[in-house]
Amino acid sequence: MDANPIVLDDTAGDVVIVVVEGEHDIYTAPTLRERLDEAIGRGGGVVVDLTGATFVDSSVLGALLDARRRALEARQGFVVCVGEAVEPGVQRILDITGLVPVLPVINGRDAAIETARANGNGADA
Amino acid sequence: MTAAADVRLTMPARPEGVAIVRQALAGIADALAFDEAVLADMKMAVSEACTNVVVHAYPDDEGVLEVDMAADETGLIIRVRDHGSGIQPQVNRSGDVPALGLGLPLIAALSDSYELQGSAGQGTEVRMMFTYLRESDPAAANPVTGTIGEDGRWDSDGTSGAPAG
Repeated sequence: MDANPIVLDDTAGDVVIVVVEGEHDIYTAPTLRERLDEAIGRGGGVVVDLTGATFVDSSVLGALLDARRRALEARQGFVVCVGEAVEPGVQRILDITGLVPVLPVINGRDAAIETARANGNGADA
Repeated sequence: MTAAADVRLTMPARPEGVAIVRQALAGIADALAFDEAVLADMKMAVSEACTNVVVHAYPDDEGVLEVDMAADETGLIIRVRDHGSGIQPQVNRSGDVPALGLGLPLIAALSDSYELQGSAGQGTEVRMMFTYLRESDPAAANPVTGTIGEDGRWDSDGTSGAPAG
Protein backbone atom coordinates (compact mmCIF):
# COMPACT_ATOMS: atom_id res chain seq x y z
CA MET A 1 0.00 0.00 0.00
CA ASP A 2 2.94 2.31 0.63
CA ALA A 3 3.68 4.27 -2.55
CA ASN A 4 7.05 5.36 -1.18
CA PRO A 5 8.54 2.31 0.52
CA ILE A 6 11.90 2.08 2.26
CA VAL A 7 12.81 -1.55 2.92
CA LEU A 8 15.91 -3.50 3.94
CA ASP A 9 17.16 -6.26 1.65
CA ASP A 10 19.45 -8.83 3.28
CA THR A 11 20.06 -11.01 0.27
CA ALA A 12 23.63 -9.79 -0.22
CA GLY A 13 24.75 -11.31 3.07
CA ASP A 14 27.27 -9.06 4.80
CA VAL A 15 26.01 -5.92 3.01
CA VAL A 16 22.51 -4.61 3.76
CA ILE A 17 20.65 -2.85 0.96
CA VAL A 18 18.30 -0.02 1.91
CA VAL A 19 15.89 0.10 -1.03
CA VAL A 20 14.31 3.55 -1.42
CA GLU A 21 11.44 3.93 -3.91
CA GLY A 22 9.14 6.79 -4.87
CA GLU A 23 9.20 10.35 -3.50
CA HIS A 24 11.03 11.20 -0.31
CA ASP A 25 11.21 14.45 1.61
CA ILE A 26 10.89 15.82 5.13
CA TYR A 27 7.85 13.63 5.73
CA THR A 28 9.60 10.32 5.05
CA ALA A 29 13.12 11.34 6.15
CA PRO A 30 12.53 10.14 9.76
CA THR A 31 11.59 6.68 8.42
CA LEU A 32 14.68 6.68 6.22
CA ARG A 33 16.82 7.56 9.26
CA GLU A 34 15.30 4.63 11.17
CA ARG A 35 16.00 2.21 8.34
CA LEU A 36 19.55 3.50 7.96
CA ASP A 37 20.11 3.12 11.71
CA GLU A 38 18.85 -0.44 11.48
CA ALA A 39 21.11 -1.19 8.51
CA ILE A 40 24.20 0.27 10.20
CA GLY A 41 23.31 -1.60 13.40
CA ARG A 42 23.77 -4.90 11.63
CA GLY A 43 27.48 -4.20 11.51
CA GLY A 44 28.27 -4.80 7.85
CA GLY A 45 28.35 -2.66 4.75
CA VAL A 46 25.40 -0.48 3.76
CA VAL A 47 24.15 0.25 0.24
CA VAL A 48 21.33 2.74 -0.30
CA ASP A 49 19.63 1.89 -3.60
CA LEU A 50 17.91 4.92 -5.16
CA THR A 51 17.15 3.14 -8.47
CA GLY A 52 13.42 3.27 -7.81
CA ALA A 53 13.40 6.74 -6.26
CA THR A 54 11.68 9.50 -8.21
CA PHE A 55 12.38 12.47 -5.92
CA VAL A 56 14.71 13.17 -3.01
CA ASP A 57 15.25 16.54 -1.31
CA SER A 58 17.82 17.95 1.09
CA SER A 59 16.13 16.23 4.05
CA VAL A 60 17.04 12.93 2.41
CA LEU A 61 20.58 14.08 1.64
CA GLY A 62 20.93 15.05 5.31
CA ALA A 63 19.86 11.57 6.39
CA LEU A 64 22.27 9.94 3.91
CA LEU A 65 25.21 12.13 4.93
CA ASP A 66 24.53 11.44 8.61
CA ALA A 67 24.40 7.70 7.99
CA ARG A 68 27.56 7.85 5.90
CA ARG A 69 29.44 9.61 8.72
CA ARG A 70 28.33 7.04 11.29
CA ALA A 71 29.11 4.11 9.01
CA LEU A 72 32.60 5.44 8.30
CA GLU A 73 33.23 6.02 12.03
CA ALA A 74 32.31 2.39 12.61
CA ARG A 75 34.53 1.36 9.68
CA GLN A 76 31.56 0.05 7.72
CA GLY A 77 31.34 0.57 3.98
CA PHE A 78 28.67 3.02 2.81
CA VAL A 79 27.65 3.49 -0.83
CA VAL A 80 24.62 4.98 -2.61
CA CYS A 81 23.65 3.49 -5.97
CA VAL A 82 21.41 4.49 -8.85
CA GLY A 83 20.24 2.68 -11.97
CA GLU A 84 20.91 3.22 -15.66
CA ALA A 85 18.24 5.89 -16.07
CA VAL A 86 18.08 8.25 -13.10
CA GLU A 87 15.00 10.38 -12.51
CA PRO A 88 15.59 14.15 -12.81
CA GLY A 89 14.23 14.54 -9.28
CA VAL A 90 17.16 12.48 -8.03
CA GLN A 91 19.96 13.19 -10.50
CA ARG A 92 19.71 16.97 -10.35
CA ILE A 93 20.23 17.37 -6.58
CA LEU A 94 23.11 14.89 -6.61
CA ASP A 95 24.76 16.74 -9.50
CA ILE A 96 24.45 20.31 -8.27
CA THR A 97 25.48 19.55 -4.70
CA GLY A 98 28.62 17.76 -5.88
CA LEU A 99 27.82 14.84 -3.58
CA VAL A 100 28.31 12.07 -6.15
CA PRO A 101 31.97 11.49 -5.19
CA VAL A 102 31.33 12.28 -1.51
CA LEU A 103 28.57 9.84 -0.63
CA PRO A 104 29.70 8.18 -3.02
CA VAL A 105 27.06 7.46 -5.69
CA ILE A 106 27.81 4.73 -8.21
CA ASN A 107 25.87 2.99 -10.96
CA GLY A 108 24.42 -0.43 -10.34
CA ARG A 109 23.60 -2.34 -7.19
CA ASP A 110 26.13 -5.13 -7.72
CA ALA A 111 29.01 -2.70 -8.10
CA ALA A 112 27.78 -0.81 -5.04
CA ILE A 113 27.73 -3.98 -2.95
CA GLU A 114 31.29 -4.80 -3.98
CA THR A 115 32.45 -1.26 -3.15
CA ALA A 116 30.72 -1.26 0.24
CA ARG A 117 32.28 -4.62 1.00
CA ALA A 118 35.74 -3.45 -0.05
CA ASN A 119 35.51 -0.22 1.97
CA GLY A 120 34.35 -1.80 5.20
CA ASN A 121 35.88 -3.71 8.10
CA GLY A 122 38.97 -1.59 8.48
CA ALA A 123 39.90 -1.40 4.82
CA ASP A 124 41.64 1.87 4.04
CA ALA A 125 39.07 3.99 2.19
CA MET B 1 -0.76 29.45 -21.35
CA THR B 2 -3.25 31.03 -18.97
CA ALA B 3 -5.56 28.14 -18.13
CA ALA B 4 -4.02 27.25 -14.80
CA ALA B 5 -3.04 30.70 -13.60
CA ASP B 6 -3.47 31.88 -10.04
CA VAL B 7 -3.74 29.02 -7.62
CA ARG B 8 -3.50 29.43 -3.85
CA LEU B 9 -2.89 26.58 -1.43
CA THR B 10 -3.30 27.11 2.31
CA MET B 11 -2.59 24.27 4.70
CA PRO B 12 -1.12 23.48 8.11
CA ALA B 13 2.67 23.75 8.05
CA ARG B 14 3.32 20.04 8.53
CA PRO B 15 5.71 17.62 6.80
CA GLU B 16 2.93 15.71 5.05
CA GLY B 17 1.80 18.86 3.23
CA VAL B 18 4.97 19.28 1.16
CA ALA B 19 4.12 16.37 -1.17
CA ILE B 20 0.65 17.83 -1.72
CA VAL B 21 2.21 21.10 -2.88
CA ARG B 22 4.45 19.14 -5.29
CA GLN B 23 1.45 17.31 -6.73
CA ALA B 24 -0.48 20.52 -7.27
CA LEU B 25 2.56 22.07 -8.89
CA ALA B 26 3.00 19.08 -11.21
CA GLY B 27 -0.61 19.43 -12.37
CA ILE B 28 -0.24 23.13 -13.06
CA ALA B 29 3.10 22.68 -14.83
CA ASP B 30 1.58 19.95 -17.00
CA ALA B 31 -1.23 22.28 -18.06
CA LEU B 32 1.37 24.92 -18.91
CA ALA B 33 3.51 22.46 -20.92
CA PHE B 34 6.68 23.00 -18.91
CA ASP B 35 9.74 20.99 -19.85
CA GLU B 36 10.30 17.96 -17.62
CA ALA B 37 13.68 19.25 -16.45
CA VAL B 38 12.21 22.61 -15.41
CA LEU B 39 9.37 20.83 -13.62
CA ALA B 40 11.93 18.78 -11.68
CA ASP B 41 13.70 21.99 -10.65
CA MET B 42 10.42 23.62 -9.65
CA LYS B 43 9.41 20.66 -7.51
CA MET B 44 12.77 20.63 -5.77
CA ALA B 45 12.90 24.38 -5.12
CA VAL B 46 9.30 24.54 -3.89
CA SER B 47 9.86 21.52 -1.64
CA GLU B 48 12.86 23.20 -0.08
CA ALA B 49 10.93 26.44 0.48
CA CYS B 50 8.01 24.56 2.06
CA THR B 51 10.37 22.50 4.18
CA ASN B 52 11.91 25.70 5.54
CA VAL B 53 8.43 26.79 6.64
CA VAL B 54 7.65 23.44 8.24
CA VAL B 55 10.97 23.21 10.07
CA HIS B 56 11.73 26.81 11.02
CA ALA B 57 8.68 29.07 10.98
CA TYR B 58 6.59 28.11 13.97
CA PRO B 59 8.14 27.41 17.39
CA ASP B 60 4.91 25.92 18.79
CA ASP B 61 4.22 23.69 15.77
CA GLU B 62 0.96 25.48 14.89
CA GLY B 63 1.01 27.60 11.77
CA VAL B 64 0.00 27.98 8.18
CA LEU B 65 1.88 27.28 4.96
CA GLU B 66 0.70 29.35 2.00
CA VAL B 67 1.70 28.74 -1.61
CA ASP B 68 0.63 30.96 -4.50
CA MET B 69 1.26 29.97 -8.12
CA ALA B 70 0.60 32.49 -10.87
CA ALA B 71 1.38 32.05 -14.56
CA ASP B 72 2.12 34.91 -16.94
CA GLU B 73 3.55 35.22 -20.45
CA THR B 74 7.08 34.32 -19.44
CA GLY B 75 6.63 31.69 -16.80
CA LEU B 76 5.33 30.63 -13.41
CA ILE B 77 5.81 32.70 -10.26
CA ILE B 78 5.58 30.71 -7.04
CA ARG B 79 5.38 32.33 -3.61
CA VAL B 80 5.85 30.26 -0.47
CA ARG B 81 4.85 32.15 2.66
CA ASP B 82 4.58 31.73 6.41
CA HIS B 83 3.45 33.98 9.24
CA GLY B 84 6.07 32.75 11.63
CA SER B 85 9.20 33.80 13.39
CA GLY B 86 10.91 35.51 10.48
CA ILE B 87 13.70 35.18 8.04
CA GLN B 88 16.34 33.85 10.42
CA PRO B 89 15.79 30.28 11.53
CA GLN B 90 14.93 30.55 15.23
CA VAL B 91 13.90 27.02 15.93
CA ASN B 92 14.33 23.59 14.48
CA ARG B 93 11.17 21.59 14.78
CA SER B 94 12.86 18.37 13.89
CA GLY B 95 14.40 18.31 17.37
CA ASP B 96 17.74 16.60 17.58
CA VAL B 97 18.16 16.27 13.82
CA PRO B 98 19.81 19.46 12.54
CA ALA B 99 18.68 20.85 9.22
CA LEU B 100 21.30 20.46 6.52
CA GLY B 101 21.17 24.13 5.54
CA LEU B 102 20.97 23.47 1.81
CA GLY B 103 17.49 24.86 1.22
CA LEU B 104 18.28 28.41 0.11
CA PRO B 105 21.34 27.48 -1.97
CA LEU B 106 19.16 24.96 -3.82
CA ILE B 107 16.37 27.50 -4.37
CA ALA B 108 18.94 29.94 -5.77
CA ALA B 109 20.42 27.32 -8.09
CA LEU B 110 17.16 25.87 -9.39
CA SER B 111 15.01 28.96 -9.98
CA ASP B 112 15.46 31.44 -12.80
CA SER B 113 15.20 34.16 -10.17
CA TYR B 114 14.18 34.37 -6.54
CA GLU B 115 13.64 36.85 -3.74
CA LEU B 116 13.46 36.43 0.01
CA GLN B 117 11.38 38.87 2.01
CA GLY B 118 10.62 39.03 5.69
CA SER B 119 11.64 40.27 9.09
CA ALA B 120 11.54 39.08 12.68
CA GLY B 121 7.96 38.43 13.72
CA GLN B 122 6.56 39.30 10.28
CA GLY B 123 6.85 35.97 8.56
CA THR B 124 8.83 35.09 5.47
CA GLU B 125 8.04 34.88 1.78
CA VAL B 126 10.17 33.17 -0.84
CA ARG B 127 9.27 34.27 -4.38
CA MET B 128 10.57 32.05 -7.17
CA MET B 129 10.25 32.52 -10.91
CA PHE B 130 10.54 29.74 -13.51
CA THR B 131 10.52 30.57 -17.21
CA TYR B 132 8.86 28.39 -19.88
CA LEU B 133 11.93 28.52 -22.08
CA ARG B 134 15.31 28.63 -20.43
CA GLU B 135 18.23 30.14 -22.26
CA SER B 136 20.70 28.76 -19.75
CA ASP B 137 20.85 26.56 -16.67
CA PRO B 138 20.31 28.71 -13.54
CA ALA B 139 22.53 26.31 -11.58
CA ALA B 140 25.43 27.46 -13.75
CA ALA B 141 24.85 31.11 -12.75
CA ASN B 142 24.14 30.33 -9.08
CA PRO B 143 25.95 27.09 -8.32
CA VAL B 144 25.63 25.38 -4.97
CA THR B 145 29.04 25.92 -3.41
CA GLY B 146 30.74 24.15 -0.54
CA THR B 147 30.23 20.68 0.85
CA ILE B 148 29.18 18.90 4.00
CA GLY B 149 30.95 20.23 7.10
CA GLU B 150 32.17 18.30 10.12
CA ASP B 151 29.15 19.51 12.10
CA GLY B 152 26.80 17.77 9.66
CA ARG B 153 25.51 21.04 8.20
CA TRP B 154 26.20 22.40 4.75
CA ASP B 155 29.31 24.58 4.70
CA SER B 156 28.98 27.04 1.82
CA ASP B 157 32.61 28.10 2.09
CA GLY B 158 33.88 24.57 2.22
CA THR B 159 36.05 25.54 5.19
CA SER B 160 34.60 23.90 8.29
CA GLY B 161 35.78 20.50 7.15
CA ALA B 162 39.37 21.72 7.07
CA PRO B 163 41.63 20.97 10.03
CA ALA B 164 41.87 23.84 12.52
CA GLY B 165 45.08 25.77 12.65
